[in-house]
Amino acid sequence: MIDASFVSELRRLCGDDAVVTEPLELLTYECDGLPHLRHTPPAVVLPSSAEGVQAAVRLCHRRDVPFVARGHGSGLSGGALPIPGGLVIGLARLNRVLDVDIPNRRVTVEPGVTNLEITRRVAPHGFYYAPDPSSQQVCSIGGNVAENSGGAHCLKYGFTVHHVLGVEAVLSNGDLVQLDSAIADAPGPDLLGVLIGSEGTLAVVTKVTVRILRKPEAVQTLLAAYDDIPAAGTAVSEIIAAGIIPAAVEIMDGVSLVAIEAAVHPNFPPAEAILIVELDGPVAEVREQFAEVEKICHRAGATTVEVAQDEEHRARIWKGRKGAFASMGRVTPNYYVQDGVVPRTKLPEVLDRIRQLEARCGLRIGNVFHAGDGNLHPLICYDEKIPGQSDLAAQVGAEILQYCIDAGGSLTGEHGIGADKAEYMPKMFTDDDLDVMLAVRRAFDPKGLCNPGKIFPTPRLCGEVPGPYRAHPIEKAGLGERF
Amino acid sequence: MVATESIDGVLPRETIEPSSAEDVAATLASAAKQRSSVVIRGGGTKMGWGRTPASVDMVLSTKRLTALVAHEHADLTATVQAGARLDEVNRVLGRHGQWLPVESAFDEATIGGAIATNDSGPLRHRYGTPRDLLIGIRLALTDGRLIKAGGNVVKNVAGYDLGKLISGSHGSLAAIVSATFKLSPQPGASSTLVATFDGADALIASLAAITSSQLEASAIEVRAVSSAASGFSGTSRGYGLLLKFESTPVALNAHVRQARALAGGATCEVVAAQSEADLWRAHLRSPWQSPGMIVKFAWMPASLGAVLALVDDLRASVTGIELTGRAAIGSGLLRVDADPRVQRNVVERLRSRTDVFRHVVVLRADAAVKQQLDVWGPLGDAGALGASVKHALDPHGILNAGRGPV
Repeated sequence: MIDASFVSELRRLCGDDAVVTEPLELLTYECDGLPHLRHTPPAVVLPSSAEGVQAAVRLCHRRDVPFVARGHGSGLSGGALPIPGGLVIGLARLNRVLDVDIPNRRVTVEPGVTNLEITRRVAPHGFYYAPDPSSQQVCSIGGNVAENSGGAHCLKYGFTVHHVLGVEAVLSNGDLVQLDSAIADAPGPDLLGVLIGSEGTLAVVTKVTVRILRKPEAVQTLLAAYDDIPAAGTAVSEIIAAGIIPAAVEIMDGVSLVAIEAAVHPNFPPAEAILIVELDGPVAEVREQFAEVEKICHRAGATTVEVAQDEEHRARIWKGRKGAFASMGRVTPNYYVQDGVVPRTKLPEVLDRIRQLEARCGLRIGNVFHAGDGNLHPLICYDEKIPGQSDLAAQVGAEILQYCIDAGGSLTGEHGIGADKAEYMPKMFTDDDLDVMLAVRRAFDPKGLCNPGKIFPTPRLCGEVPGPYRAHPIEKAGLGERF
Repeated sequence: MVATESIDGVLPRETIEPSSAEDVAATLASAAKQRSSVVIRGGGTKMGWGRTPASVDMVLSTKRLTALVAHEHADLTATVQAGARLDEVNRVLGRHGQWLPVESAFDEATIGGAIATNDSGPLRHRYGTPRDLLIGIRLALTDGRLIKAGGNVVKNVAGYDLGKLISGSHGSLAAIVSATFKLSPQPGASSTLVATFDGADALIASLAAITSSQLEASAIEVRAVSSAASGFSGTSRGYGLLLKFESTPVALNAHVRQARALAGGATCEVVAAQSEADLWRAHLRSPWQSPGMIVKFAWMPASLGAVLALVDDLRASVTGIELTGRAAIGSGLLRVDADPRVQRNVVERLRSRTDVFRHVVVLRADAAVKQQLDVWGPLGDAGALGASVKHALDPHGILNAGRGPV
């Protein structure tokens, strides 16, 4: 446990200025981007080097103290939620860009470097880092590795796991290891492939090498307005059937469009559904395929098709989409963002079930989704001041996840399981599936000290240390704004 | 019981061909109970990869697990049993204009084998390796359990991605029963530019010009051979770059024209249609159809000069040298047909230059060579961690026993 002797040892190892125990300062670390799950940690350490991380982890290992690594706290599933009685290892001071290697198309950074910083560093050379979660201005690469972050463009470019070549990581016993990925030709089981997306439960990453891509020659974006969602969905299906893989395909429904127009004023045409399609690549190819996409959008019944004429226009279209979550505040006192995935062809069926649910439960539900890969983000509107609505919103969110599972989908496409959805994991996986994942976990972390209580459900399976703090349903649904 | 073939001269006691996932799991459980060593066989095209085993009790063949379980063409996904042949799968997926862009030098290569070895070909440049396309996996464990990870959707971060873990495991952790992949639309058109250079410097300069441009090739291959390799006549002397472009028909011509301009002083030839398919088939197969040791290795892309210098150096003294590789990624195969001492020397040279070469693995070699070196090379920190994962999933160490990589 974290007592005075633990703290003084931590100070001796990592330095006084790296250890936080002041109650007010600790509040900063009590939650991540999922604010309804919170727990004030007894101590936080902010190392400035991998050695510092090692020292803190070794101490935890010696004293059997669980720990959670934290990047910039923008996660949406409570992955960085402090563990009761555990240490928070904040990686914000590990924020150096160590190597920008243009000839070898790679960049090596410490985990506290933000996602966008990598692109900033290589943009002057005509390169970029592909994964682009909407939080890319603030989220850390360490967090991206933990969550296997994607972004609007992952349909074509893949996730973090497709772009990380190697990492340096601290195992739960304090050992520092170098792991290369299968994409760097490391022979043997792809250990790094499973570490990426393990939500901080296998190791603490202290250095990350990512590959960078040449900027595409051309980018073209269009917006198509429809009278209903199924028509927009038809357009998406036909684009895919035509053998075109867009860089991004997004749909926003009527409820979310009202909010977006009020908040961000993107000046979208009036519609019940708006489809955004973006193509990128060599000029000649984009030109040819884009003409095809335009035709398909019209054929599917678009009332308007607006092609971005310049960078400013394109930015305005994206501003509308990226501002969707934050805009909901204009039309509802509170809202709850769900993250579920269905096979793309099941979108109409699942959206229909959501419409029926909306009619039944009396709460408005907006829908914004990455249509290309079937990743839904239902926005459940409620008012916490009306008794019972917070609870209801949480139930509605869980119900929608069940629809995703029924349709053969997933509990999460990008936000992670974390502490938020651990209890739902048995909906998707059998006890045996989860037990084998836990066996892998024990192979990395025999004592179960590395971010316990995340991903795996309680009641806990063998070998797991005590589970996370569980919020009361009322508290759970009483969300602030997610970003 | 079926007739068995030897693995590095070691004759397995028996071969079992389960006909269902449950059957695979039961077979493994009973082998584990008896502490029988098990080697998993797909198409049998890479049975020699790995260390020479002391003995093999059982070969578990996926020969009867060949079903295409589902092809959700509108979702661009497919689920396939492990024993299905890559070419068969692609023939069926092609009916909807789609394919799984995983290549193999071997006709009989299976889905399970592609995942277990994470083997890929020139198109890795655009599409990645099998692990990059895998979205769900079903595994049979040595305790008889059947488990899954991932799912049927292309975007999914729920739970550990055990499909990644099993990629490259060479049958040493669990048996792959079936797998779900994201697919690609077949390209509208394709064409290949073959550029031949007299010197390494000219090739490197052209490659830099091409990779710095905004051209998007599907494959960028480097070739260097000491003499005409069997079945391949494209670049018998000097050095070759093979650039494959896949695009819409109109755009394709623009790409090839641009690439040709960037290739500078090279001798260029544009190849399309059946001759293009034949060219790539020959390129992919050529090392495997000629004698000698085959080493897979990685290099930093900007160090291609050091790779070509090594090839040059070897060409002076050895007649059978062949390099084929992904020039922009820095990964390839080196075939060395020489006496065992020279072969071992080449591996040692590659492994000693850790500043340039990484992950030097001997894929094919005679038993005499294999006895004198570790085919996998040092696994570094991944060694101990891999062993720990191996112990968790295969506690009695029956899978691929003695052959590695873990």
